[in-house]
Amino acid sequence: MIAELLFATFFGLLLLGIHRKVIARIQRRPGPPVWQEILHMLKFSFKTTWVPNTASAALFVGVVLVAIGIWTAALFVVTSGGSLLVIFAIYMLHKIVEHGFGLSSGSPYGKFGGVRSVISAASEIPLIVSVAAIAIFTKSLLISDIVAYQTLHGPLLLTIPPAAVAMYVVLISKMPFGPFSIVESKELVSGYKTEHFGVWRAGLEICNGLKTYVLLLTFILVFAGGLPFWLILLAMLLITLSLSFVCALSPMLSPYDSVTIQTIIAGLMVAYVAILGVVS
Amino acid sequence: MNEIGGAPLFFLEFGDIVIYFSPFTITLFLLALVFSVFVLVSRPERQIDIAFGADAFYAKVISLSELKFRRFMSIACGLACMGAMVTGDLFDFTLFVSLVGICNVGIVAAVKSRHVQNAAYQYGLVALAGTVPMFAAAAMVAATTGTLSMLELAEGTIQVPLAARALLVLGVMGEGMAPFYAAKAEMFRAPGAPYVIMCSLSSLLIFLRVAEVILVL
Repeated sequence: MIAELLFATFFGLLLLGIHRKVIARIQRRPGPPVWQEILHMLKFSFKTTWVPNTASAALFVGVVLVAIGIWTAALFVVTSGGSLLVIFAIYMLHKIVEHGFGLSSGSPYGKFGGVRSVISAASEIPLIVSVAAIAIFTKSLLISDIVAYQTLHGPLLLTIPPAAVAMYVVLISKMPFGPFSIVESKELVSGYKTEHFGVWRAGLEICNGLKTYVLLLTFILVFAGGLPFWLILLAMLLITLSLSFVCALSPMLSPYDSVTIQTIIAGLMVAYVAILGVVS
Repeated sequence: MNEIGGAPLFFLEFGDIVIYFSPFTITLFLLALVFSVFVLVSRPERQIDIAFGADAFYAKVISLSELKFRRFMSIACGLACMGAMVTGDLFDFTLFVSLVGICNVGIVAAVKSRHVQNAAYQYGLVALAGTVPMFAAAAMVAATTGTLSMLELAEGTIQVPLAARALLVLGVMGEGMAPFYAAKAEMFRAPGAPYVIMCSLSSLLIFLRVAEVILVL
Protein backbone atom coordinates (compact mmCIF):
# COMPACT_ATOMS: atom_id res chain seq x y z
CA MET A 1 0.00 0.00 0.00
CA ILE A 2 2.87 2.41 0.85
CA ALA A 3 4.47 1.72 -2.54
CA GLU A 4 1.13 2.32 -4.29
CA LEU A 5 0.63 5.52 -2.34
CA LEU A 6 4.06 6.85 -3.28
CA PHE A 7 3.61 5.86 -6.92
CA ALA A 8 0.17 7.51 -7.07
CA THR A 9 1.50 10.73 -5.53
CA PHE A 10 4.51 11.02 -7.82
CA PHE A 11 2.64 9.96 -10.97
CA GLY A 12 -0.22 12.36 -10.15
CA LEU A 13 2.28 15.20 -9.70
CA LEU A 14 4.02 14.23 -12.95
CA LEU A 15 0.66 14.44 -14.76
CA LEU A 16 0.09 17.90 -13.28
CA GLY A 17 3.57 18.90 -14.50
CA ILE A 18 2.75 17.63 -17.98
CA HIS A 19 -0.52 19.57 -17.79
CA ARG A 20 1.39 22.80 -17.10
CA LYS A 21 3.91 22.07 -19.85
CA VAL A 22 1.26 21.35 -22.49
CA ILE A 23 -0.70 24.49 -21.59
CA ALA A 24 2.50 26.53 -21.89
CA ARG A 25 3.41 25.04 -25.29
CA ILE A 26 -0.10 25.68 -26.66
CA GLN A 27 0.25 29.28 -25.52
CA ARG A 28 3.72 29.47 -27.15
CA ARG A 29 5.61 29.72 -23.87
CA PRO A 30 8.51 27.41 -22.96
CA GLY A 31 6.82 26.39 -19.70
CA PRO A 32 8.37 24.66 -16.69
CA PRO A 33 9.91 21.16 -16.88
CA VAL A 34 7.36 18.33 -16.56
CA TRP A 35 8.70 17.33 -13.14
CA GLN A 36 8.17 20.88 -11.77
CA GLU A 37 5.27 19.84 -9.50
CA ILE A 38 7.40 17.07 -7.97
CA LEU A 39 10.17 19.60 -7.38
CA HIS A 40 7.63 21.96 -5.78
CA MET A 41 6.54 19.26 -3.38
CA LEU A 42 10.14 18.39 -2.44
CA LYS A 43 11.17 22.04 -2.18
CA PHE A 44 8.28 22.96 0.13
CA SER A 45 9.05 19.95 2.32
CA PHE A 46 12.35 21.54 3.37
CA LYS A 47 11.38 25.21 3.46
CA THR A 48 10.73 27.27 6.58
CA THR A 49 7.30 26.50 7.98
CA TRP A 50 5.10 28.77 10.06
CA VAL A 51 1.55 29.27 11.22
CA PRO A 52 0.29 32.87 10.77
CA ASN A 53 -0.46 34.80 13.99
CA THR A 54 -4.04 35.36 12.87
CA ALA A 55 -4.71 31.69 12.04
CA SER A 56 -6.85 29.16 13.84
CA ALA A 57 -3.76 27.01 14.45
CA ALA A 58 -5.30 23.56 15.00
CA LEU A 59 -7.55 23.88 11.96
CA PHE A 60 -4.77 25.42 9.85
CA VAL A 61 -2.59 22.36 10.42
CA GLY A 62 -5.31 19.73 10.81
CA VAL A 63 -6.96 20.42 7.48
CA VAL A 64 -3.71 19.49 5.68
CA LEU A 65 -3.76 16.08 7.38
CA VAL A 66 -7.44 15.65 6.56
CA ALA A 67 -6.72 16.45 2.89
CA ILE A 68 -4.02 13.78 2.65
CA GLY A 69 -6.11 11.35 4.70
CA ILE A 70 -9.25 11.52 2.57
CA TRP A 71 -7.40 11.06 -0.72
CA THR A 72 -5.34 8.20 0.71
CA ALA A 73 -8.63 6.58 1.70
CA ALA A 74 -9.97 7.28 -1.80
CA LEU A 75 -6.95 5.55 -3.37
CA PHE A 76 -7.53 2.53 -1.13
CA VAL A 77 -11.23 2.41 -2.06
CA VAL A 78 -10.55 2.60 -5.81
CA THR A 79 -7.77 0.02 -5.83
CA SER A 80 -9.78 -2.38 -3.64
CA GLY A 81 -12.88 -2.08 -5.85
CA GLY A 82 -14.96 -0.37 -3.14
CA SER A 83 -18.07 1.75 -3.48
CA LEU A 84 -18.21 4.59 -6.00
CA LEU A 85 -20.42 6.43 -3.51
CA VAL A 86 -17.45 6.69 -1.13
CA ILE A 87 -15.35 8.28 -3.90
CA PHE A 88 -18.20 10.68 -4.55
CA ALA A 89 -18.34 11.52 -0.82
CA ILE A 90 -14.60 12.15 -0.68
CA TYR A 91 -14.75 14.31 -3.79
CA MET A 92 -17.47 16.44 -2.19
CA LEU A 93 -15.64 16.63 1.12
CA HIS A 94 -12.62 18.02 -0.69
CA LYS A 95 -14.73 21.22 -0.86
CA ILE A 96 -14.69 21.34 2.93
CA VAL A 97 -10.93 20.94 2.86
CA GLU A 98 -10.59 23.88 0.44
CA HIS A 99 -12.98 25.89 2.60
CA GLY A 100 -10.94 24.98 5.68
CA PHE A 101 -7.66 25.94 4.01
CA GLY A 102 -9.10 29.30 3.03
CA LEU A 103 -10.86 30.32 6.23
CA SER A 104 -8.38 29.03 8.80
CA SER A 105 -5.61 31.51 8.00
CA GLY A 106 -7.54 34.76 8.51
CA SER A 107 -6.23 36.08 5.19
CA PRO A 108 -8.79 37.84 2.94
CA TYR A 109 -7.38 36.05 -0.14
CA GLY A 110 -7.71 32.65 1.45
CA LYS A 111 -11.15 33.54 2.74
CA PHE A 112 -12.48 34.45 -0.72
CA GLY A 113 -10.88 31.33 -2.21
CA GLY A 114 -12.74 29.29 0.40
CA VAL A 115 -16.03 31.09 -0.22
CA ARG A 116 -15.67 30.53 -3.98
CA SER A 117 -15.07 26.87 -3.29
CA VAL A 118 -18.39 26.62 -1.46
CA ILE A 119 -20.38 28.54 -4.06
CA SER A 120 -18.99 26.37 -6.87
CA ALA A 121 -20.45 23.25 -5.25
CA ALA A 122 -22.75 22.90 -8.28
CA SER A 123 -19.83 21.14 -9.96
CA GLU A 124 -20.54 18.10 -7.79
CA ILE A 125 -24.04 17.56 -9.12
CA PRO A 126 -22.92 16.14 -12.52
CA LEU A 127 -20.89 13.58 -10.56
CA ILE A 128 -23.87 12.30 -8.59
CA VAL A 129 -25.90 12.22 -11.80
CA SER A 130 -23.15 10.11 -13.40
CA VAL A 131 -23.27 7.83 -10.37
CA ALA A 132 -27.06 7.49 -10.73
CA ALA A 133 -26.76 6.69 -14.46
CA ILE A 134 -24.16 4.01 -13.71
CA ALA A 135 -26.38 2.52 -10.98
CA ILE A 136 -29.30 2.21 -13.43
CA PHE A 137 -27.24 -0.07 -15.69
CA THR A 138 -24.95 -1.97 -13.37
CA LYS A 139 -27.36 -2.32 -10.38
CA SER A 140 -24.33 -1.86 -8.13
CA LEU A 141 -22.02 0.94 -7.12
CA LEU A 142 -19.07 -1.25 -6.20
CA ILE A 143 -16.22 -0.44 -8.59
CA SER A 144 -15.35 -4.15 -8.78
CA ASP A 145 -18.95 -4.90 -9.94
CA ILE A 146 -18.85 -2.02 -12.45
CA VAL A 147 -15.60 -3.36 -13.93
CA ALA A 148 -17.09 -6.89 -14.07
CA TYR A 149 -20.23 -5.52 -15.79
CA GLN A 150 -18.08 -3.90 -18.48
CA THR A 151 -16.18 -7.14 -19.06
CA LEU A 152 -19.50 -8.72 -20.08
CA HIS A 153 -21.32 -5.80 -21.73
CA GLY A 154 -18.54 -3.53 -23.04
CA PRO A 155 -17.35 -0.13 -21.78
CA LEU A 156 -19.92 2.20 -20.18
CA LEU A 157 -18.29 4.99 -22.21
CA LEU A 158 -20.18 3.63 -25.23
CA THR A 159 -23.39 2.79 -23.32
CA ILE A 160 -23.89 6.09 -21.45
CA PRO A 161 -21.59 8.67 -23.11
CA PRO A 162 -23.40 11.70 -21.55
CA ALA A 163 -22.54 10.37 -18.06
CA ALA A 164 -18.89 10.10 -19.15
CA VAL A 165 -19.05 13.68 -20.44
CA ALA A 166 -20.50 14.82 -17.09
CA MET A 167 -17.65 13.19 -15.20
CA TYR A 168 -15.16 14.67 -17.67
CA VAL A 169 -16.58 18.11 -16.78
CA VAL A 170 -15.97 17.23 -13.13
CA LEU A 171 -12.34 16.45 -14.02
CA ILE A 172 -12.03 19.80 -15.81
CA SER A 173 -13.38 21.60 -12.76
CA LYS A 174 -10.64 20.05 -10.62
CA MET A 175 -7.72 20.72 -12.99
CA PRO A 176 -5.60 23.82 -12.33
CA PHE A 177 -5.72 26.72 -14.85
CA GLY A 178 -9.09 25.55 -16.19
CA PRO A 179 -12.25 27.54 -16.95
CA PHE A 180 -13.72 26.65 -13.55
CA SER A 181 -10.54 27.19 -11.45
CA ILE A 182 -12.05 30.20 -9.68
CA VAL A 183 -10.86 29.04 -6.25
CA GLU A 184 -7.22 29.76 -7.07
CA SER A 185 -7.71 32.63 -9.46
CA LYS A 186 -4.82 35.11 -9.74
CA GLU A 187 -6.79 38.09 -8.37
CA LEU A 188 -6.86 36.11 -5.09
CA VAL A 189 -3.05 35.52 -5.22
CA SER A 190 -3.23 31.70 -4.80
CA GLY A 191 -6.80 31.57 -3.49
CA TYR A 192 -7.48 29.20 -0.63
CA LYS A 193 -3.84 28.05 -0.43
CA THR A 194 -2.29 31.53 -0.28
CA GLU A 195 -1.16 31.33 3.36
CA HIS A 196 -0.10 27.67 3.47
CA PHE A 197 3.65 27.58 3.02
CA GLY A 198 6.50 25.24 3.86
CA VAL A 199 5.58 21.72 4.85
CA TRP A 200 1.83 22.53 4.87
CA ARG A 201 2.08 23.44 1.18
CA ALA A 202 4.04 20.25 0.52
CA GLY A 203 1.13 18.36 2.11
CA LEU A 204 -1.26 20.18 -0.18
CA GLU A 205 0.88 19.25 -3.20
CA ILE A 206 0.79 15.58 -2.11
CA CYS A 207 -2.99 15.85 -1.85
CA ASN A 208 -3.17 17.34 -5.37
CA GLY A 209 -1.06 14.53 -6.82
CA LEU A 210 -3.17 11.87 -5.13
CA LYS A 211 -6.42 13.57 -6.13
CA THR A 212 -5.41 13.76 -9.79
CA TYR A 213 -4.36 10.09 -9.85
CA VAL A 214 -7.50 8.87 -8.04
CA LEU A 215 -9.96 10.86 -10.17
CA LEU A 216 -8.34 9.78 -13.46
CA LEU A 217 -8.13 6.15 -12.31
CA THR A 218 -11.79 6.21 -11.26
CA PHE A 219 -12.84 7.69 -14.61
CA ILE A 220 -10.98 4.96 -16.50
CA LEU A 221 -12.20 2.06 -14.34
CA VAL A 222 -15.79 3.26 -14.40
CA PHE A 223 -16.08 4.10 -18.09
CA ALA A 224 -13.49 1.87 -19.80
CA GLY A 225 -13.37 -1.11 -17.43
CA GLY A 226 -10.40 -3.15 -16.25
CA LEU A 227 -7.36 -2.54 -18.47
CA PRO A 228 -3.74 -3.68 -18.12
CA PHE A 229 -1.82 -1.37 -15.79
CA TRP A 230 0.39 0.13 -18.50
CA LEU A 231 -2.70 0.89 -20.58
CA ILE A 232 -4.36 2.60 -17.60
CA LEU A 233 -1.29 4.84 -17.22
CA LEU A 234 -1.36 5.61 -20.96
CA ALA A 235 -5.08 6.41 -20.78
CA MET A 236 -4.42 8.73 -17.82
CA LEU A 237 -1.78 10.55 -19.86
CA LEU A 238 -4.11 10.92 -22.85
CA ILE A 239 -6.97 12.23 -20.71
CA THR A 240 -4.59 14.70 -19.06
CA LEU A 241 -3.47 15.93 -22.49
CA SER A 242 -7.08 16.45 -23.58
CA LEU A 243 -7.80 18.32 -20.33
CA SER A 244 -4.73 20.49 -20.93
CA PHE A 245 -6.05 21.47 -24.36
CA VAL A 246 -9.42 22.43 -22.86
CA CYS A 247 -7.76 24.43 -20.09
CA ALA A 248 -5.32 26.16 -22.46
CA LEU A 249 -7.97 27.19 -24.98
CA SER A 250 -10.73 28.37 -22.65
CA PRO A 251 -10.57 31.50 -20.50
CA MET A 252 -11.20 31.36 -16.77
CA LEU A 253 -14.83 32.25 -16.14
CA SER A 254 -16.04 34.77 -13.61
CA PRO A 255 -17.33 33.10 -10.40
CA TYR A 256 -21.03 33.51 -11.19
CA ASP A 257 -20.59 32.49 -14.85
CA SER A 258 -18.72 29.40 -13.67
CA VAL A 259 -21.54 28.46 -11.30
CA THR A 260 -24.18 29.18 -13.98
CA ILE A 261 -22.51 26.94 -16.57
CA GLN A 262 -22.00 24.13 -14.06
CA THR A 263 -25.64 24.41 -13.01
CA ILE A 264 -26.80 24.23 -16.64
CA ILE A 265 -24.68 21.10 -17.19
CA ALA A 266 -26.10 19.62 -13.98
CA GLY A 267 -29.67 20.39 -15.13
CA LEU A 268 -29.07 18.70 -18.51
CA MET A 269 -27.64 15.66 -16.77
CA VAL A 270 -30.57 15.40 -14.35
CA ALA A 271 -32.94 15.46 -17.36
CA TYR A 272 -30.85 12.78 -19.12
CA VAL A 273 -30.88 10.47 -16.11
CA ALA A 274 -34.62 11.02 -15.60
CA ILE A 275 -35.20 9.95 -19.21
CA LEU A 276 -32.80 7.03 -18.77
CA GLY A 277 -34.68 5.93 -15.64
CA VAL A 278 -38.05 6.07 -17.41
CA VAL A 279 -36.78 4.21 -20.52
CA SER A 280 -35.05 1.46 -18.55
CA MET B 1 -28.58 -2.25 -4.52
CA ASN B 2 -28.68 -2.91 -0.78
CA GLU B 3 -24.93 -2.48 -0.37
CA ILE B 4 -24.38 0.66 -2.38
CA GLY B 5 -22.20 2.12 0.36
CA GLY B 6 -20.20 -1.10 0.65
CA ALA B 7 -20.92 -4.18 2.76
CA PRO B 8 -22.09 -3.30 6.31
CA LEU B 9 -19.26 -3.73 8.82
CA PHE B 10 -21.37 -4.05 11.96
CA PHE B 11 -24.80 -3.29 13.43
CA LEU B 12 -25.62 -1.68 16.76
CA GLU B 13 -29.17 -2.42 17.88
CA PHE B 14 -31.20 -0.27 20.28
CA GLY B 15 -34.45 -2.22 20.34
CA ASP B 16 -36.01 -1.77 16.91
CA ILE B 17 -33.69 1.14 16.07
CA VAL B 18 -30.55 -0.07 14.33
CA ILE B 19 -27.39 1.90 13.75
CA TYR B 20 -25.20 0.50 11.00
CA PHE B 21 -21.68 1.17 9.88
CA SER B 22 -20.75 0.57 6.24
CA PRO B 23 -17.60 1.92 4.55
CA PHE B 24 -19.72 4.84 3.32
CA THR B 25 -21.44 5.73 6.61
CA ILE B 26 -18.28 5.20 8.66
CA THR B 27 -16.33 7.56 6.34
CA LEU B 28 -18.94 10.27 6.85
CA PHE B 29 -19.18 9.57 10.59
CA LEU B 30 -15.41 9.84 11.05
CA LEU B 31 -15.23 13.12 9.17
CA ALA B 32 -18.00 14.60 11.32
CA LEU B 33 -16.07 13.37 14.37
CA VAL B 34 -12.73 14.80 13.20
CA PHE B 35 -14.19 18.24 12.51
CA SER B 36 -16.06 18.18 15.85
CA VAL B 37 -12.69 17.61 17.53
CA PHE B 38 -11.29 20.57 15.57
CA VAL B 39 -14.14 22.69 16.93
CA LEU B 40 -13.27 21.57 20.46
CA VAL B 41 -9.54 22.24 20.28
CA SER B 42 -9.33 25.23 17.89
CA ARG B 43 -9.37 28.89 18.71
CA PRO B 44 -11.07 30.93 15.98
CA GLU B 45 -8.89 32.81 13.50
CA ARG B 46 -8.68 36.62 13.50
CA GLN B 47 -9.88 37.67 10.07
CA ILE B 48 -7.91 40.46 8.48
CA ASP B 49 -9.76 43.01 6.36
CA ILE B 50 -8.58 46.05 4.49
CA ALA B 51 -9.77 49.46 5.75
CA PHE B 52 -10.87 51.09 2.50
CA GLY B 53 -9.71 54.64 1.92
CA ALA B 54 -6.76 54.29 4.28
CA ASP B 55 -3.41 52.59 4.39
CA ALA B 56 -4.48 50.19 7.14
CA PHE B 57 -6.14 46.91 7.99
CA TYR B 58 -8.13 45.62 10.91
CA ALA B 59 -8.70 42.21 12.49
CA LYS B 60 -12.11 40.85 13.45
CA VAL B 61 -11.92 39.27 16.90
CA ILE B 62 -14.60 36.98 18.32
CA SER B 63 -15.62 37.75 21.90
CA LEU B 64 -15.46 35.02 24.54
CA SER B 65 -19.24 34.82 25.03
CA GLU B 66 -19.81 34.53 21.26
CA LEU B 67 -17.04 31.93 21.04
CA LYS B 68 -18.64 29.80 23.78
CA PHE B 69 -22.10 29.89 22.22
CA ARG B 70 -20.91 29.14 18.69
CA ARG B 71 -18.63 26.37 19.89
CA PHE B 72 -21.54 24.78 21.76
CA MET B 73 -23.78 24.99 18.67
CA SER B 74 -21.01 23.58 16.46
CA ILE B 75 -20.46 20.60 18.74
CA ALA B 76 -24.21 19.98 18.87
CA CYS B 77 -24.21 20.20 15.08
CA GLY B 78 -21.36 17.69 14.90
CA LEU B 79 -23.19 15.26 17.20
CA ALA B 80 -26.43 15.59 15.21
CA CYS B 81 -24.45 15.05 12.05
CA MET B 82 -22.81 11.90 13.39
CA GLY B 83 -26.25 10.58 14.34
CA ALA B 84 -27.65 11.32 10.89
CA MET B 85 -24.73 9.52 9.22
CA VAL B 86 -25.14 6.16 10.91
CA THR B 87 -28.81 5.83 11.81
CA GLY B 88 -30.80 3.08 10.11
CA ASP B 89 -34.16 4.63 10.99
CA LEU B 90 -35.81 7.11 8.65
CA PHE B 91 -37.56 9.08 11.38
CA ASP B 92 -34.33 9.43 13.38
CA PHE B 93 -32.63 10.60 10.21
CA THR B 94 -35.19 13.39 9.74
CA LEU B 95 -34.87 14.36 13.42
CA PHE B 96 -31.09 14.56 13.24
CA VAL B 97 -31.22 16.54 9.99
CA SER B 98 -33.65 19.07 11.44
CA LEU B 99 -31.34 19.42 14.46
CA VAL B 100 -28.46 20.10 12.04
CA GLY B 101 -30.56 22.90 10.51
CA ILE B 102 -31.32 24.43 13.92
CA CYS B 103 -27.64 24.30 14.95
CA ASN B 104 -26.55 25.86 11.66
CA VAL B 105 -28.89 28.79 12.26
CA GLY B 106 -27.42 29.15 15.77
CA ILE B 107 -23.83 29.10 14.50
CA VAL B 108 -24.35 31.96 12.05
CA ALA B 109 -27.00 33.96 13.92
CA ALA B 110 -24.62 34.54 16.85
CA VAL B 111 -22.29 36.63 14.67
CA LYS B 112 -22.59 40.31 15.61
CA SER B 113 -23.00 41.61 12.06
CA ARG B 114 -26.20 42.91 10.51
CA HIS B 115 -25.44 41.32 7.11
CA VAL B 116 -24.70 37.91 8.59
CA GLN B 117 -27.80 38.04 10.80
CA ASN B 118 -30.01 38.97 7.83
CA ALA B 119 -28.64 36.02 5.88
CA ALA B 120 -29.05 33.75 8.93
CA TYR B 121 -32.68 34.88 9.34
CA GLN B 122 -33.47 34.08 5.69
CA TYR B 123 -31.73 30.73 5.92
CA GLY B 124 -33.59 30.02 9.17
CA LEU B 125 -36.93 30.53 7.42
CA VAL B 126 -35.91 28.11 4.66
CA ALA B 127 -34.65 25.56 7.21
CA LEU B 128 -37.91 25.79 9.17
CA ALA B 129 -39.93 25.33 6.00
CA GLY B 130 -37.70 22.39 5.05
CA THR B 131 -38.79 20.37 8.08
CA VAL B 132 -42.36 20.15 6.73
CA PRO B 133 -41.65 18.07 3.57
CA MET B 134 -39.02 16.07 5.45
CA PHE B 135 -41.33 14.90 8.22
CA ALA B 136 -44.14 14.51 5.67
CA ALA B 137 -41.86 12.11 3.78
CA ALA B 138 -41.22 10.05 6.92
CA ALA B 139 -44.95 10.01 7.69
CA MET B 140 -45.77 8.88 4.14
CA VAL B 141 -43.22 6.08 4.33
CA ALA B 142 -44.61 4.92 7.70
CA ALA B 143 -48.19 5.06 6.41
CA THR B 144 -47.58 3.23 3.15
CA THR B 145 -45.02 0.63 4.23
CA GLY B 146 -45.66 0.21 7.96
CA THR B 147 -42.00 0.60 8.84
CA LEU B 148 -39.34 3.30 9.11
CA SER B 149 -36.39 0.91 9.23
CA MET B 150 -34.06 1.55 6.29
CA LEU B 151 -32.79 -2.03 6.52
CA GLU B 152 -36.30 -3.44 6.06
CA LEU B 153 -37.11 -0.97 3.30
CA ALA B 154 -33.82 -1.82 1.54
CA GLU B 155 -34.92 -5.43 1.08
CA GLY B 156 -37.08 -4.18 -1.79
CA THR B 157 -40.21 -6.14 -0.86
CA ILE B 158 -42.13 -2.95 -0.04
CA GLN B 159 -42.37 -0.13 -2.59
CA VAL B 160 -41.64 3.35 -1.19
CA PRO B 161 -43.73 6.06 -2.95
CA LEU B 162 -41.74 8.28 -5.31
CA ALA B 163 -43.40 11.34 -3.72
CA ALA B 164 -41.97 10.38 -0.31
CA ARG B 165 -38.45 10.19 -1.74
CA ALA B 166 -38.90 13.53 -3.52
CA LEU B 167 -40.19 15.20 -0.33
CA LEU B 168 -37.26 13.82 1.65
CA VAL B 169 -34.76 15.29 -0.81
CA LEU B 170 -36.65 18.60 -0.83
CA GLY B 171 -36.58 18.74 2.97
CA VAL B 172 -32.85 18.05 3.14
CA MET B 173 -32.24 20.72 0.48
CA GLY B 174 -34.02 23.18 2.79
CA GLU B 175 -32.04 22.15 5.87
CA GLY B 176 -28.59 22.16 4.29
CA MET B 177 -26.88 25.49 3.99
CA ALA B 178 -24.41 24.41 1.31
CA PRO B 179 -24.52 24.14 -1.64
CA PHE B 180 -28.05 25.44 -2.33
CA TYR B 181 -27.84 28.37 0.06
CA ALA B 182 -24.17 29.03 -0.57
CA ALA B 183 -24.82 32.18 -2.59
CA LYS B 184 -25.40 33.85 0.77
CA ALA B 185 -21.67 34.39 1.05
CA GLU B 186 -22.11 36.55 4.18
CA MET B 187 -22.49 33.39 6.22
CA PHE B 188 -19.48 31.59 4.78
CA ARG B 189 -17.13 34.52 5.12
CA ALA B 190 -18.16 35.27 8.69
CA PRO B 191 -15.28 34.99 11.18
CA GLY B 192 -14.91 31.81 13.23
CA ALA B 193 -13.50 29.27 10.74
CA PRO B 194 -13.97 26.10 12.84
CA TYR B 195 -17.66 26.92 13.37
CA VAL B 196 -18.46 28.13 9.85
CA ILE B 197 -16.83 25.01 8.43
CA MET B 198 -19.15 22.90 10.56
CA CYS B 199 -22.09 24.54 8.71
CA SER B 200 -20.81 23.60 5.26
CA LEU B 201 -19.55 20.18 6.42
CA SER B 202 -22.86 19.21 8.01
CA SER B 203 -24.78 20.37 4.93
CA LEU B 204 -22.64 18.32 2.56
CA LEU B 205 -22.75 15.29 4.85
CA ILE B 206 -26.55 15.25 5.03
CA PHE B 207 -26.73 15.58 1.23
CA LEU B 208 -24.39 12.63 0.86
CA ARG B 209 -26.36 10.53 3.32
CA VAL B 210 -29.72 11.37 1.73
CA ALA B 211 -28.29 10.27 -1.64
CA GLU B 212 -27.57 6.86 -0.09
CA VAL B 213 -30.97 6.74 1.63
CA ILE B 214 -32.81 7.50 -1.61
CA LEU B 215 -30.85 4.84 -3.53
CA VAL B 216 -31.44 2.28 -0.76
CA LEU B 217 -35.22 2.84 -0.37
